[in-house]
Amino acid sequence: METATALAAGIRSFTFHDDAAPVLHNVDVSFHPGTLTAVLGPSGSGKSTLGRLLAGWLPPGAGGTLEGHLTLARTTLRFEGQAQDPRINPAQWGRRVGFVPQDPRAILSTVRATVAEELAFALENAGGERSAMLAAVERIAGLLGLSGLLDRHPNTLSGGQLRRLAIGCAVITGPEVLVMDEPFASLDPAGADELALLVGSLVRQGTAVVILSQAVDEALLAAQQWIVLDGGTVTADGTPAELIAAPQRLPAGIRRPGVQRDTTVEVSEAGARNNQADGQGAASGPVLEFRGVGFGYADRPAGGRKRRMGAGDVPGDQPAQVLRDIDLELLPGEIVAVTGPNGAGKSTFLRHLNGLLQPTAGSVLVRGRDIAGRPVGEVAQTVGLLFQNPRDQLFERTAAREVRFGLDRRFGPHEAEARTGAALAAVGLSGAADAHPMELPASGQRLLALATVLARRPAVLALDEPTVALDGDGLRFLDAAVRSAAAAGAAVVLVTHDVPYARSLAHRLLTLDGGRLAAR
Amino acid sequence: MRLHPLTTLAAAGSTAVITTAAAYLPLSLAVITAAVGLSARGGTSRRLLPAAAAILVPLALSLLVLHGLFFPEGDTVLAQWGPARVTAEGLSFALNRAAQLCAAVLALLVFSFSVSVPDLVAALSAKGVHGRFAFVLASTLSLLPAITFRLERIRQAQEARGLVIRRGLLHRAAAFRLQAVPLVSALVEDAATRAAALEARGFGGTGPRTSYRDVPERPWEPPFRMLLLLAAAAAVAVRLLLAGD
Repeated sequence: METATALAAGIRSFTFHDDAAPVLHNVDVSFHPGTLTAVLGPSGSGKSTLGRLLAGWLPPGAGGTLEGHLTLARTTLRFEGQAQDPRINPAQWGRRVGFVPQDPRAILSTVRATVAEELAFALENAGGERSAMLAAVERIAGLLGLSGLLDRHPNTLSGGQLRRLAIGCAVITGPEVLVMDEPFASLDPAGADELALLVGSLVRQGTAVVILSQAVDEALLAAQQWIVLDGGTVTADGTPAELIAAPQRLPAGIRRPGVQRDTTVEVSEAGARNNQADGQGAASGPVLEFRGVGFGYADRPAGGRKRRMGAGDVPGDQPAQVLRDIDLELLPGEIVAVTGPNGAGKSTFLRHLNGLLQPTAGSVLVRGRDIAGRPVGEVAQTVGLLFQNPRDQLFERTAAREVRFGLDRRFGPHEAEARTGAALAAVGLSGAADAHPMELPASGQRLLALATVLARRPAVLALDEPTVALDGDGLRFLDAAVRSAAAAGAAVVLVTHDVPYARSLAHRLLTLDGGRLAAR
Repeated sequence: MRLHPLTTLAAAGSTAVITTAAAYLPLSLAVITAAVGLSARGGTSRRLLPAAAAILVPLALSLLVLHGLFFPEGDTVLAQWGPARVTAEGLSFALNRAAQLCAAVLALLVFSFSVSVPDLVAALSAKGVHGRFAFVLASTLSLLPAITFRLERIRQAQEARGLVIRRGLLHRAAAFRLQAVPLVSALVEDAATRAAALEARGFGGTGPRTSYRDVPERPWEPPFRMLLLLAAAAAVAVRLLLAGD
């Protein structure tokens, strides 16, 4: 006898309206109450599309052509890709199926002024009692470590805090099925532990939890079922134990703990020469220095010149002092990793490297020169910054245009073209030169953003959470790029919540906590 | 404690209506003074005055040209060029109208620059205004900050890739050329993803809605608002009666 399923899908094919080939085909999945299922697949395997389809965020018909069926709460909807197909009501569907999108910002209503109100948004729409809403917000905030942030504007949250908020928004209504797309990305170890506990308690309460992931996170080992998705179809399924015992059934693009870390990356001499950081002469003295740098948001811009604001900054809505008395010297060829909990100020620290943020105390020196007052664009010729969210970095119409932005003016068309080609090749995107950046899978967007930085061969590479959203193949490209840049004499600073990764790559490991930088 | 946003809205609205209906120069001047004073006290004058100037200067100038030069009832001719006559009566009429307009516009601007948008939206939904309307209002009022926020991010991304933007309005305007297309496509992209999220979070529902944000009001505020609305209605009625005589 078949046990009751909370949600099931039989997808013969799902095709986006503009595409010829289906993005999903022959996918049969079912999720049972009180279980955890991991859908594993490399970037571009169709995970996010499957997730959005299951969650009603991509309604068949309007979103694309589905042939197959979806079953929710014993009701089966059959789709033939015809006009008379049933229509999904996203609100009704959303009440039963919660969804955490890969980009946590996508779930925000954008019209709520505090974290607490954003959490309560779905409850408000359902007409919940105010006292019940207050209690629910408090409970969820406690579970997800958001209690101290309830009065902050969502725009002021760090990447990891935003992820926690997005998860909170999805679980607060108590859906029967919870689908989460890469929920562990950008969470620090504490956040990952909290999420694992939350998932455990939801499963015990009878929720069917589905986690889409391109990495075998520790929490996924507790799953009842793993489903492997590759090339838009299910290639394997079974229990974690079965699939771990047969690693050849997991595509190479899936990140596995301890597997890709020790991959030796060949950095050829020629490659290193080719990547020689521009203007990198004989190694002498630090290429970058922080001298007693402090930074705080305390000074409200009451008048005078507006200070430069980081992404997501809202004045007067931040912890007062983010960085305190930071000293750092960075030598050519050195790889330094900065770790720290979510919201510690890692991105704020990194934005000081190229002058996007100016310190409120102390100074930042690039090649011995204070960068205070120099235009960011000028400093950026020496310091290349990879933003935490690729969507903040990408703005052009094609991948090639994206990489080439500004190169013509600086190097002339011939060299610009060569550099664009080399940078795209270095991240494995040569075949996607004409693709629209926003249509690349998340891992591809991340790598494209990296290519835009690599093409300039900066003397300092500053990388903000570079591993987030990368699948196994992407991680290998990143590893190779970082090591070869360092071998060519570039100094690399990367901030990450992923301590094992930092340890595997960096010469020096620093921790940012309480605004201070300390050796680990 | 702050005033309830609907009370400030009623106060601003009725002030605008009453000054317009009264058409009495001392009253208009008093309202202008009060509005500027209030905005200075609230710390919004730096943003409010340029906005007010952008709206009022062209309007006041056109009133001056229209009534100052062509006012058929004017007797006291101060200067004359062909058909255009500058009369004392025309100037005084133009001044009156301009002062009225300034008073009404300033009263409404003081409100829109001082109101807390989330409070207003919450207050409106608490009063049974449809959620979609409240959302449209909130989106409209927060559109400019949202665009600025997006633009700032695109500019940072471009600067981080070596685009040198020097200080000064001209340099920024020149750089905006490179930011306009990415800005529009980013906003369209945002809107598309946001729609799915809003629908899935039950925003499209037609059932009753509640509000997490509590906007307190003092007991005297609802009757006071009613009083303000009645006063505005009375001012209009008196004005119509007088005009009918």
